[in-house]
Amino acid sequence: MNQFPNGAKDEPSSIIKIIGIGQSLRGDDAAGLAAVRFWQERYQANIERPNLQVELEELPGIGLLSLLEGSSIAILVDTVHSNSIPGTIHLLSNDQLEAFTGGASSAHGWGVAETLLLGEKLMPLSMPEKIILIGIEAGNFSLGESLSPQVELALPEVARLIEQLTIRV
Amino acid sequence: MNQDIHIPALARVEGEGALTIRLKDGVINEILLNIYEPPRFFEGFLHGRYFQDVPDITARICGICPVAYQMSSVQALEAALQVTISPEVRQLRQLLYCAEYIESHALHIYLLQGPDLVNQESALSLAAEAPELVKQGLRLKKIGNDLLKTIGGRSVHPVNTCVGGFYRWPDEQAIHGLVPELEWARQASIDTVKWAATLNYPDFEQDYEFVALNRIDDYAIYDGDILSSKGKRITPQDFEKHYTETHVERSNALHSHTVDNSTYFVGPLARINLNYKKLRQIAKETAREIGLKLPLRNPYKSLLARAIELVHTSDLAIELANAYHPQGPSHVEFDIQPGEGCGVSEAPRGLLYHRYIVDEQGMIRFARITPPTAQNFAQMEADLWALAPSVIKQPQEEASLSFEHLLRSYDPCISCATHFLKLHIDSE
Repeated sequence: MNQFPNGAKDEPSSIIKIIGIGQSLRGDDAAGLAAVRFWQERYQANIERPNLQVELEELPGIGLLSLLEGSSIAILVDTVHSNSIPGTIHLLSNDQLEAFTGGASSAHGWGVAETLLLGEKLMPLSMPEKIILIGIEAGNFSLGESLSPQVELALPEVARLIEQLTIRV
Repeated sequence: MNQDIHIPALARVEGEGALTIRLKDGVINEILLNIYEPPRFFEGFLHGRYFQDVPDITARICGICPVAYQMSSVQALEAALQVTISPEVRQLRQLLYCAEYIESHALHIYLLQGPDLVNQESALSLAAEAPELVKQGLRLKKIGNDLLKTIGGRSVHPVNTCVGGFYRWPDEQAIHGLVPELEWARQASIDTVKWAATLNYPDFEQDYEFVALNRIDDYAIYDGDILSSKGKRITPQDFEKHYTETHVERSNALHSHTVDNSTYFVGPLARINLNYKKLRQIAKETAREIGLKLPLRNPYKSLLARAIELVHTSDLAIELANAYHPQGPSHVEFDIQPGEGCGVSEAPRGLLYHRYIVDEQGMIRFARITPPTAQNFAQMEADLWALAPSVIKQPQEEASLSFEHLLRSYDPCISCATHFLKLHIDSE
């Protein structure tokens, strides 16, 4: 179902960061965190690779720029909302991220897309060469700890995708 | 992908805030401000949880002020369980709070309210216009986050705070190693004050009742008594007798009032106005240099107050970091006993009150969290009423911006302010 975004470079020694983003008490908004944890558990052997670093952050906001520092490739796993079916997996590279900011002319929507745009504008040399976003379509953002069943079912596929990306890049 | 997808917004939908202004016959008939307020959920969520889990759970209420939630909750629980912390722990908590002030104030000054005052649509457009300015803000914020991470283990939601102290002492050399950056932050904060003094603030002053923590010996952030500009001074234990919350049908947030049914104002303006003399010397010198005149009664000038607090907290952080030499246990041991206690501290956006009842097993039986944004809510509405007549005749987009700018000056909790604000003007 997925095609990999073009441009990932084959540099085995470069640092790859896998960053799970979300809120653990807002229903499906925890999907990015849950998916990275799922990947860690299922593919534990690979997380020992010295060039792989994992970050799990709730609401990092602008702090995402600090998390990206020092990495050549960043794989962000986050929840998205696009009126697709919950559990749908979107795979985007950073040149496609601008599409995410539609309607976010607000100064305060410090979501991933706005933060990356600010980083590109102010500190292009500190940004990773490649940023890949795995977006998991959410269905339920109500307060609470559990994911909706469709999102839960998507986690193995997201984990497989993370694993493929870490090997491929 | 073989076709374009349109995703209008990434997640972080929390914070649906909306403002509706209804006109009737060309006159304002109704103003409805609705902000989603997560702490109410947390009060229920905490019920039945083990007391030691509370600091980390409440820290997740906000991505910008997790330390404030931890500091008020641990103090409330330490009061309930009759735990006395060591002076070293208190100092480290103060240093942790400095970290939060630096990162939170830098964010609000440079990326949230600042663009409003230089006629920029957003920090992105400000970054195009004045990249060095925004870079300065980002570096300040990063210094705060780095200090937070060194003490709390993580740069966003620290996990080292516990009832009785800290789970472990942070590395001494790592704390000392941050001093050069904190010294840069202090100078950048002084420059920030001077820049803030040059901004054009809308002409809008109200006769507010300011409420903030107060200490005789210190600029109160971590703890203190509660002081009002009307002269009332109470202990944290009496907070709920003097400041009450009521449910307003049109909103899912509670509205706070004084017991006399007046609105009141918490946050940096309140702190500066009530506690100016207790600021660090260098912060007062900087304020004098720009000719600061108190009291500040213009909510937009909260930015100026935040900038002065940046000088104060970065200077204090340098002293506390240099003095950090951990000795003895990082937390005290204690027996669990049933009890009730409250704790109050000054979050960057204002007074934050917690109260808990703990049973003999250490389980939470009752939780009350009164966040600063909820306390300012009624005051924000009153300000909107005061501002509305002068802006309602502007084109809708311009009017919307004017209201947004006013509300943004309050620095409403980020979890409440994200994706703020949708404006509806209904005419009959």
